Amino acid sequence: MSQDSYRPSFNLSRVDASVAQPVRLFFASAFLWLVLASMIAVITAIQLKDVSFLGGCSLTTYGRLKALESNLFTYGWLTNALFAINLWLMSSLTRFELKNAWLANVGGVVWNLTLTYGAYQILMGKMNGFSLLEMPKEVALASWLGFLLAALWPAVAFSRRPTGHVYVSQWYILGSTLVFPITFALTQLLVLWCPAQGVLQALVHSWYYQNLHLLWFASSAIAAVYYFIPKESGRTVAAYYLSTIGFWTFFLFASWTGPATLLGSPLPLWVQSVGVVAALLMLIPFAILAIHFLGTLSWNRGISQSWNNTTLRFVLVAIFALILWGLLFAVSSTRGFNAVIRFTAFTVGLEHLLSYTFVSFVIFGAAYFILPKITGLLWLSPKLVHLHFWSCAIATVSLLIITLGGGWQQGSGLRADWPSALFPTFLLLIGHIAFVINAWGMLCSKLSSGYKPTHA
Amino acid sequence: MKNIKFIFAGVVFTLAASFLGILLSGRVQLGSLGRAPAEEGGLLFPPREPGLAIQGREVYLSLGCVACHTQQVRPASQGNDIAKGYGPRHSVARDYILQSSVLLGTHRIGPDLANYGARAASENEIHQHLLVPKAGSAMPSYAFLYTRGKDGTLVPTEKAIALVAYLKSLKIDYSSPEAKLNQ
Repeated sequence: MSQDSYRPSFNLSRVDASVAQPVRLFFASAFLWLVLASMIAVITAIQLKDVSFLGGCSLTTYGRLKALESNLFTYGWLTNALFAINLWLMSSLTRFELKNAWLANVGGVVWNLTLTYGAYQILMGKMNGFSLLEMPKEVALASWLGFLLAALWPAVAFSRRPTGHVYVSQWYILGSTLVFPITFALTQLLVLWCPAQGVLQALVHSWYYQNLHLLWFASSAIAAVYYFIPKESGRTVAAYYLSTIGFWTFFLFASWTGPATLLGSPLPLWVQSVGVVAALLMLIPFAILAIHFLGTLSWNRGISQSWNNTTLRFVLVAIFALILWGLLFAVSSTRGFNAVIRFTAFTVGLEHLLSYTFVSFVIFGAAYFILPKITGLLWLSPKLVHLHFWSCAIATVSLLIITLGGGWQQGSGLRADWPSALFPTFLLLIGHIAFVINAWGMLCSKLSSGYKPTHA
Repeated sequence: MKNIKFIFAGVVFTLAASFLGILLSGRVQLGSLGRAPAEEGGLLFPPREPGLAIQGREVYLSLGCVACHTQQVRPASQGNDIAKGYGPRHSVARDYILQSSVLLGTHRIGPDLANYGARAASENEIHQHLLVPKAGSAMPSYAFLYTRGKDGTLVPTEKAIALVAYLKSLKIDYSSPEAKLNQ
């Protein structure tokens, strides 16, 4: 790996210094939730192998722990990390100096406190039945306000930017920042506060779930990829003129894909068909993204050069995951294929491919780039970086083989049990601990030394 | 695209299009569904849930059972649920109109429960399964839902009684205007 990531301490730029505090807060929170979620994931993986494990009380049922794990991973790890990356990226691209960092800090604290309260309520069994909406409805308003305070600063930076040029990354960040508060508010209203009748709740939930994953997580991660590829490889994005079509088709089709996850459900057939068509149309933006990302890196030994750069190495794995997900999602939305894999571990593999192998790998790569810039310090241990990458890469590939292959076997009647992913889940925990030790080392040394960034 | 208002307006349009196109159109079609007899003059279905079953739904939610069980039987053209014996017919939107919280589920670590109440022979059988799951079952024991009585026998708690009442109430063994039993 490149030695660039392990540079000695240096002074922060004025822009980096202005956002350093909230970015550190978001990253620190994200790392904490990641380790917690990974530990719970190991417990639930053990429970799938040994059903009696921690089965003696209601507090640790598989259902509660699984809900807890997915909420901590989604709203704790992914969301906090994307708060940090979006804010830093937009500030860097616009050269905007954040004057009200304390407001972003308040947003981060509110978001994490409501998540803590929601997680506690899930553990106590006060939860709802829809995935990623399990937290009780009374936390919704605080979460929503916390999100606005923490996440809307990229929009402020963009509207007050001193520089005129606009990059593709900025479109995706702005879009993703706007999508979450709107879909979250409407979904809370129609599923929990004034529930729609019957299966319409499931339809609203599928709309939220797809918007959350594609238009908040994936969109933010795509913004980061658009930034890091040219930045770290020194190349211009291939076929850049396609970016406008790519952006608008991505946003237009993604939010119609919800019903594609409900094939065979009691919803009207036309609604399900709309989802299938949208899932197939998503191949257009995915093809454009593939042209942009792989087209840029594939010529003149770009991929092997990327492999020697810490950030690009993670981003490269993420790009392949994104393209694979786009293909698999389109294929699995066809009725014949869906009839086999629906309700099986295959769907778990698909979720993992998008939210972990794509989004989380982009976050890891971004963290390796951003943390030295906002702390002015070097990464503590290159060995831990290697351990992090290889354990997570091996684990994610193993987990995908187990869930996608095992899910297909389940649907085909070749196996009756749920495939066990204990080994890769444990390996992920090891990788995450290695990453967090390294990252917290930077963040804590900053705090303990009372470091004050100097303006370059 | 340099104008934030243009980008925001475009993104809001894309969200509004899907919201109106899928959710509101779905609401127009399904929002006024009511109970209906399978044949003219027959009993209205779905039946109203007993009060104890409504409490049991809360226990089902609280224990996180939805993580492992679905409650939807797919049509024969869209899976082998009916062939597996999960239900005598596929689920339709009308089956869910009285449910305050619809628990379709997304994964099947355990079997589908849409018609479990009709499959289970008795409430005792369900209690027995919760206490000591059948061999080969992926379900853990829910013995913590039972206490020891003065004579040493296991007595179901209120939660266990409500949960079993709820599970027993899960049935689609009736004809619906959209899906007849003999089809």
